[in-house]
Amino acid sequence: MSSQRLLALGLRFYVVVFFGYLFLPLLVMAAATFNDSRFPTVTPWDGTTLRWFGELAADGGMWQALANSAVVAAGVLCLAVPIGIATALFLNTVSSRAKPFLYALILSPLLTPGVIIGISTLIFWRELGVTGGRFLTVLGQSTFIAAYVMLMVTARLQRFDRTMERAALDLGASQWQMFRRILLPYLKPAIYSAAVIAFLQSFENYNTSLFVVGHDTTLTVYIASKVRTGLTPAVNALGLILILVTVALAIVYEVKRRREAARTRSSI
Amino acid sequence: MDGSVRLDEVVMRFGDFTAIERTSLEIGSGEFFSFLGPSGCGKTTLLNIISGFLAPSEGQVFIGNEPMARRAVNRRPTAMIFQNLALFPLMTVFENIEFGLEVRGVEKRKRRDTSERLLALVALEGSGPKKVTELSGGQKQRVAIARALAVEPRVLLLDEPLSALDLKLRQRMRAELKAIQRKTGITFIYITHDQGEALTMSDRVAVMSAGRIQQVADPMTLYRAPATGFVAAFVGENNRFETTVVDREGERVRLDAGTLGELAGRAGEGVSLSNGKSVALFVRPEHLRPVTPDSPGPQLDTEIEAVHFEGAWVMLETRLLASGETLRVQLGHEISRHYADALSVGQRMGFGYDPQDAVVLPDDGSPVVDEATGEVREADRQARSHV
Amino acid sequence: MFRQLKARFGGPLAMAILTLLGIWLILMVTLPQLQMIDYSFRPNLLPAQRGGPEDGWTLANYVTLFNNEIHRAIFFKTLWSSVLVTLLTLAVSYPLAWYLAKVATPRQAALCLLLLIIPFWINEILRTYSWFIILAFRGPLNEVLMMLGLIERPIRFLSGDGGVMIGMVYAYILFMVFPVYNAIESLDDNQVRAARDLGAGTIRTHRRIVIPHAKPGIATGCIMTFMLAAGSYAVPALLGSPGSRWFTQIIYNWFFEGGNWNQGAAYAFLLLVLCIGFMSLVMKFFKVGLGDIAR
Repeated sequence: MSSQRLLALGLRFYVVVFFGYLFLPLLVMAAATFNDSRFPTVTPWDGTTLRWFGELAADGGMWQALANSAVVAAGVLCLAVPIGIATALFLNTVSSRAKPFLYALILSPLLTPGVIIGISTLIFWRELGVTGGRFLTVLGQSTFIAAYVMLMVTARLQRFDRTMERAALDLGASQWQMFRRILLPYLKPAIYSAAVIAFLQSFENYNTSLFVVGHDTTLTVYIASKVRTGLTPAVNALGLILILVTVALAIVYEVKRRREAARTRSSI
Repeated sequence: MDGSVRLDEVVMRFGDFTAIERTSLEIGSGEFFSFLGPSGCGKTTLLNIISGFLAPSEGQVFIGNEPMARRAVNRRPTAMIFQNLALFPLMTVFENIEFGLEVRGVEKRKRRDTSERLLALVALEGSGPKKVTELSGGQKQRVAIARALAVEPRVLLLDEPLSALDLKLRQRMRAELKAIQRKTGITFIYITHDQGEALTMSDRVAVMSAGRIQQVADPMTLYRAPATGFVAAFVGENNRFETTVVDREGERVRLDAGTLGELAGRAGEGVSLSNGKSVALFVRPEHLRPVTPDSPGPQLDTEIEAVHFEGAWVMLETRLLASGETLRVQLGHEISRHYADALSVGQRMGFGYDPQDAVVLPDDGSPVVDEATGEVREADRQARSHV
Repeated sequence: MFRQLKARFGGPLAMAILTLLGIWLILMVTLPQLQMIDYSFRPNLLPAQRGGPEDGWTLANYVTLFNNEIHRAIFFKTLWSSVLVTLLTLAVSYPLAWYLAKVATPRQAALCLLLLIIPFWINEILRTYSWFIILAFRGPLNEVLMMLGLIERPIRFLSGDGGVMIGMVYAYILFMVFPVYNAIESLDDNQVRAARDLGAGTIRTHRRIVIPHAKPGIATGCIMTFMLAAGSYAVPALLGSPGSRWFTQIIYNWFFEGGNWNQGAAYAFLLLVLCIGFMSLVMKFFKVGLGDIAR
């Protein structure tokens, strides 16, 4: 066998191992949910049970955290998505000498560690008399999620044919009507995708939230605290449910995205 | 409904670059008027000034005698058909056509009546509910026309709308556009670099070059009596000779063409020709015919370099023996059949013409013929032109 | 800027755009950062003392770090470990990115990308938690190793930095795979073929053709991974032990246990400077700009 073929075979083997490495931990965690052991593990297997789901359902703290997460995610949608869209429109329209500087500023939240965003938000708002809680969590998370929204909307905006805008104006539309009827419908798929991503980012965020949640513990912060204190397989049950929901969302999103991509390709 | 358009001393500058030199022009209500010129000549800029997308640096635009200076694009009585049509891809045909009425707050039933009527006008009955992405190129073209007509413009502006279509469809759409224009009585202002389109459809044509209108005339006059060297070279085909004036008798001018000897032509309208002045003589290929050495009048001796049989005529590419320059000759079916034996590469042949058909114009030397494509263009302006 | 926006969108919408942008960039991005920096240069005072004679700018908070041997050590360990995590992640990701971009058939690649995206969407906490179960003293990894007879008694994976680094590589690997994959994918296949034809071996082909082309992707992956690793709180909190603390944990303690926010702000600012420094270094080394990173 030539060394080339050996190398190719090695690469294939590596890819298989890689995906094993990627999924095995998640499978182990999922399996531990059904183990009738007080401690989350798969070895030894003490019998199969569903009781940890029941215990999870009885955990009032979990439900409160879930509610907090939902409120925060909704808040982030209302704040980060409009900001992201506005920024994309701004970058697409304006040409100015200050633009490179502004662009760096706009991207900076993506390159700043999440803990720092949390800390700076906490400090800034304390000076204004606001303490940690759902409100600050929304602000802290939106600070970097808005940049993700901006990137996604910009990607679609760059492919927009601006003759459409001219045509709408020429037919008598006001600039607002042009925006409402032409530009916004065109951006809709990107905005929906961005909203899904923003929602998930918010729901899953830990580093930033950690500093700004105050007493309004979000689900992720709650899970982390559970792991360190009072750890039982109920945490796995929660994790498993979250994973299943996320995977379902991810697949729906991915399928939709690909269909959309195929459609735009075929219409060109 | 007065659809007349008047440009009054309009100038357009982009920074240091003057896209439109001072221009005044009147277009009559209900006229089919074309701007013809190579790309970068400023014709699209002029269209954008009329539609309101650009504000002129100087001067004014009047439509129906109303000044347009303070009227934004969406308040002007014009509608544009864009080069790429710019149909709204997410909307149906109905929604596209009714868009202009919708934004004016016209109620739904009235909008639908209008769009049905217009679909009938452009022969697309029943296509209303379709998505525009499902339509063919020609159908899209018609939807674009219907959409523009829906807002009842006094002036319809067309920016090379046929350039994306294939040749057959393009020729059919020419006739349809002309028919629609006649039916609606709306002023059409048509932008094109295709002289065939301009000449077949228009009542009058403005030939543009380098930001300047070279001549405004009906198609026949443009062809027969070009006012400048640019028009002579750009509209139709022409053989150009650099000459100097020997003398002039009324319209008829005797010219010294250097090694080619003495030639003659008809003085262009309003052209001043003092003896000894450098001028250009233009002879169209179809005005040349074979002559024998002893026949009277101007004579050009050539060697045939290529013979292109085009069916109804034959196009010859010949080399002038005296100067080595190229002379293109078009022979009608009858004549070419008569000379069939002589029409082969390498044969020598003399050509003559009636000086009445050859026009003498100032030697402005402006047009450049692209060596690769044979197109006439303005070399240095193309790269710099905006919009 | 307003003029251009107004020309396109009209006055009200232009105002709305600038307002939203202003709220974000000023109220959410710039001012909080400046406030944090300001905090880091002030002493920790009771509310009543603020604005009084003791209030003023000082380097005291930075001096504290310099004098605290343990904190200093943790700072440099965090830096060093994050670099190591970044390099490790790059080493693990590169072959996969190469496989996806140039070896796999389009169908295989599409499937693999979908498989990659799924764990990418799953929370960092849960991904880390799953390693917590695997690496536990009586967890499956120790069981398997003992069954295979490779070890005699279980290993305490969760007591040193090893567990933390394994968890980090796992948690951030996809931030490396995707940019590197995107960069390699845009490489013209013919360039690789040409290099092979000219007799270049596998290593030389990658070193001379593929890696130079993938530079922007590699830079992006390294910057993101380093930033996530150095700024990680979840992974060391879950997989670390008191003996293997991370710099972020010390920052957290200043805020919520030590109650000295000014001190915490100084530490946080140093972390930010560390990340910016690493980013500038990488961008300089790979000769890429900000525009290459946000693609």
